[in-house]
Amino acid sequence: MRDNVMFLTLIRRELLANLMTFRFLVAMIVTLLLVVANTVVLIADYERRLINYDTAVKQHHQKFLKRARTYSEMEGAILVDRPPNPLSIFNAGLDRRLGNSITVSHTCVPTLWDTKSHSADNPFLNLFSSVDLVLIFQVILSLLALLFAHDAIAGEREAGTLRLTMANPVSRPIILLAKYISAMVCLILPVIMSLLLVLILFSISGSILLNGDDWLRIGGLLLTSIIYLSVFYLIGLLISVITRRTATALTLSMVIWSTLVLIYPSLSVFAVNRLWQPPSQLEAAYREIEQIWEAFEREQTDFLRNDSVEGENPNFNVPPSGSYGAYQISDPITLKYFKVEKRHWTRIKPDSEPQIPHVKAYFQFSEPRRIRAAERTGQVRQKALDHVYVRKANMAKNLMRLSPAAMYDFATEVWAGTDFHGIKGFITTTQQYRQTIIDYFYDKEAFSARKWFSIDQGKVDWSDLPQFSYHRREIWTGMQHASGDIACLLLINIVLFMTTFLIFVRQEV
Amino acid sequence: MWHITKRELYDHLNSLRFAFTTVLLIALMIVNAIGYFGEYTAQSTAYQQKVSASLDKVRSNADSLYNLLIEGPGTLYKKPCTLSFCANSGETFIPESADGIGEGVFMTSSRFSISTTWRMKYPQSNPSLWDITPDYTNVDWGDIVSVALSLVAILFTFDAISSEQERGTLRLTLSNSISRGTVLVSEFLAALITISIPFLIAALINLFLLYTSGSISFGLSEWGRLGVIILIAFVYVSIFLGLGLLISSRVNSSSISLTILLLVWVVWVVLLPSTIGALTSGLQPTMTHNELAARQQSLASRFFEQYDELWRKTPSREIPATEETLLWSKYLTEDARDNQRLNEEHLGAQIAQIQLARSITRISPASSVRYAIESLAGTGFTRHVQFLKQVRRYAGEFRTFLIEMDRADPESPHALGPKEGTSQKPVPFESIPKFEDRISFSGAYTAAATDLLLLLLFFVVLFAGTFLSFLHVDI
Repeated sequence: MRDNVMFLTLIRRELLANLMTFRFLVAMIVTLLLVVANTVVLIADYERRLINYDTAVKQHHQKFLKRARTYSEMEGAILVDRPPNPLSIFNAGLDRRLGNSITVSHTCVPTLWDTKSHSADNPFLNLFSSVDLVLIFQVILSLLALLFAHDAIAGEREAGTLRLTMANPVSRPIILLAKYISAMVCLILPVIMSLLLVLILFSISGSILLNGDDWLRIGGLLLTSIIYLSVFYLIGLLISVITRRTATALTLSMVIWSTLVLIYPSLSVFAVNRLWQPPSQLEAAYREIEQIWEAFEREQTDFLRNDSVEGENPNFNVPPSGSYGAYQISDPITLKYFKVEKRHWTRIKPDSEPQIPHVKAYFQFSEPRRIRAAERTGQVRQKALDHVYVRKANMAKNLMRLSPAAMYDFATEVWAGTDFHGIKGFITTTQQYRQTIIDYFYDKEAFSARKWFSIDQGKVDWSDLPQFSYHRREIWTGMQHASGDIACLLLINIVLFMTTFLIFVRQEV
Repeated sequence: MWHITKRELYDHLNSLRFAFTTVLLIALMIVNAIGYFGEYTAQSTAYQQKVSASLDKVRSNADSLYNLLIEGPGTLYKKPCTLSFCANSGETFIPESADGIGEGVFMTSSRFSISTTWRMKYPQSNPSLWDITPDYTNVDWGDIVSVALSLVAILFTFDAISSEQERGTLRLTLSNSISRGTVLVSEFLAALITISIPFLIAALINLFLLYTSGSISFGLSEWGRLGVIILIAFVYVSIFLGLGLLISSRVNSSSISLTILLLVWVVWVVLLPSTIGALTSGLQPTMTHNELAARQQSLASRFFEQYDELWRKTPSREIPATEETLLWSKYLTEDARDNQRLNEEHLGAQIAQIQLARSITRISPASSVRYAIESLAGTGFTRHVQFLKQVRRYAGEFRTFLIEMDRADPESPHALGPKEGTSQKPVPFESIPKFEDRISFSGAYTAAATDLLLLLLFFVVLFAGTFLSFLHVDI
């Protein structure tokens, strides 16, 4: 009972001591001002991106209807778009940077490396990097946490009040705990107020609608922020316990803070990016892909040679009218490689009519094989590209993880859904959509249809083509990517607290 | 005064923060040097290759004047800079070329076969759309100076006055009939010298590494510009020393002093440049993507109405040019000219937006110092604008050249545009004006001087403020 009273008294004292300080006031005002200014900018930016997205979707649909008159002209005509993520305001992550528009066709399995970007109004604006909420918390509130902590013990020891407190029947763990709890309350206060302000700004703008999942995500963000700030408070507390003088504690805290938060993350990514060149398997993969398509082409030629029509002409001696195209896309850097055949015959003369079954048989033979070749290419490609680019990014991220600030950044990225895996969800959806289109073609028997190559009996009616729809992944499916970082932050918390506690308990005052 | 400076200097050199500063600056500079090993060599090789590929295309088109008119001078590249390790941050977002190329649009009918002529196009910056590494800065000199040096400056001054006040040594010093001004100046000098030692050593290590790795051949111009960059760095550091002294003299406790300073620093140096840049770019709306598309559409439909009878006209090789040929020529010239104008207007609006935002971000000295280093290094936005100016001048030259060459051909009807109206004689490759990107550093010095003046102004104001406040403070 007495302990409890003492504990509460201590907490109240510490709370007041922290809240009434000048540094808290300044940090609070600065945080809130920055949050408001940047949220206004980010909301405007989000709205612009949303408009661009809507326009792009409309334009892409119109273009598709205009270009795809036969089934085969569907190739390269379906462009699907990724909507901007409203939670990018909390942590921009890769949401703005990565491509947000991708071509879906049966001849190529879409990957991240095929994305393009639909229209940005002024790409030079990238020169001003965006400051999101997580960055503000990451930089300013961690500083505040250290400022609270550095003199928590050292300061009282210097002033002699520590000895005074200990003269009461109060155990050392209680003192430490009281300090910790009250400081954390003071640190959470600006976070919550910032979030409230952001939500108010959201409702004023009216363009950002949050669903139930988003609320959970914001909750997760808040929780992760608390864990992160706690790490920095405990670092400061540890410093405060082991140093004799406040001035030393302060300098040491600042050195650690600037290194962990500002300098080390950039330095490590820069070093990995510039100095580490993973052995590239791209060339081997490219050759393998070439072989896949050569095999496909051989099959095609064999078919043409063995069918009853003379010559190996894929037009089957039908006199040309309209357009005909067979071309190849190849890019050794992104391993984009496939072969396309498009037909847009406008007129078929009656005397060519006997050839038409041959044309149909040709496409019925070749297109399923093309799909298979595309799928095999897709596998080889994904593996090789992941090996080079994803591995490098992971290497950089892992090196960065030596700083808790980076872990916090990565974990909140996952909460916001703007991390790599979040964006990859879009790519997966496009791959599924490709499968849907192929199924649609099989349902319609499109490969053996006259409309695959000719419009002489009318254009293709696309009205029942399944529409593309993309939803951000469910909140829990992505959490495995954040759990490591969050667990790590928690572990650091525990280790720091234990260390501080053990040192403090054995220390002379 | 020298005595106090020496004492302070000795104190500083023995401190924890001095060790931190030395380690930090040297580590940053070494990483920078290693990161940019061979960068310039690789860049200039790539540049040479691209330029010669582009020139090869021009050479093959030079077999007829008409081909040159259709295909244009090709892609024009920006020359790499020797000092890119000093300022490289913006380069990912700035395009490296401008295109003077044909559109590849053909209009064919039974009567004619016409291709549109070349025009200038300005590709947008092209940061990789599949770069999934986390955001990072390029750890160039600009970053090292603007972030690390200013932080260090604060660490050395936050307790310059307040700790002496706390310990009472300040009163002691002042009682020795030493003026307050002297105390202030010697504190300032001591901190400046303390910082300059590790900074200069780190910079020398950096240059030594780059020099011995053979990635850079330094000429007089490079040394001169590096000298000015270091000078600017010193002015910039002085601002933060002044700021540190100001707060330190106003606040009694060094803990509060550091709190204020760090918050001011984080906001002023780290967060404000981006925030202000993003905020102020909203003040000057650019031509949006949709507006551009609409303008292009309306241009096309204007031509369609204005020249609706064109499709019935057949160009011919008659001399003098027939009315039909002239009409085609007029249409093709206007089409290229107006579309190029639209492209330039679009680009101009984008540049104006950035320039306004950039000038306002200068309220943070961190931006000023970055911009100054950028212009001296010959990279960044200012340099790109210079490049574009040269491109425009060259585009005019190339166009005039084509007209003159055509005029010199007696077999041409002098109606540039359609094949029938244009000279088809080969053009001697040597006589074609070639684009060469010239980096003019006189302009760079002027640009840097503006920023330097701004920095000096900051410094003078802050130092005067410190002086006045220190005179009136009770000790």
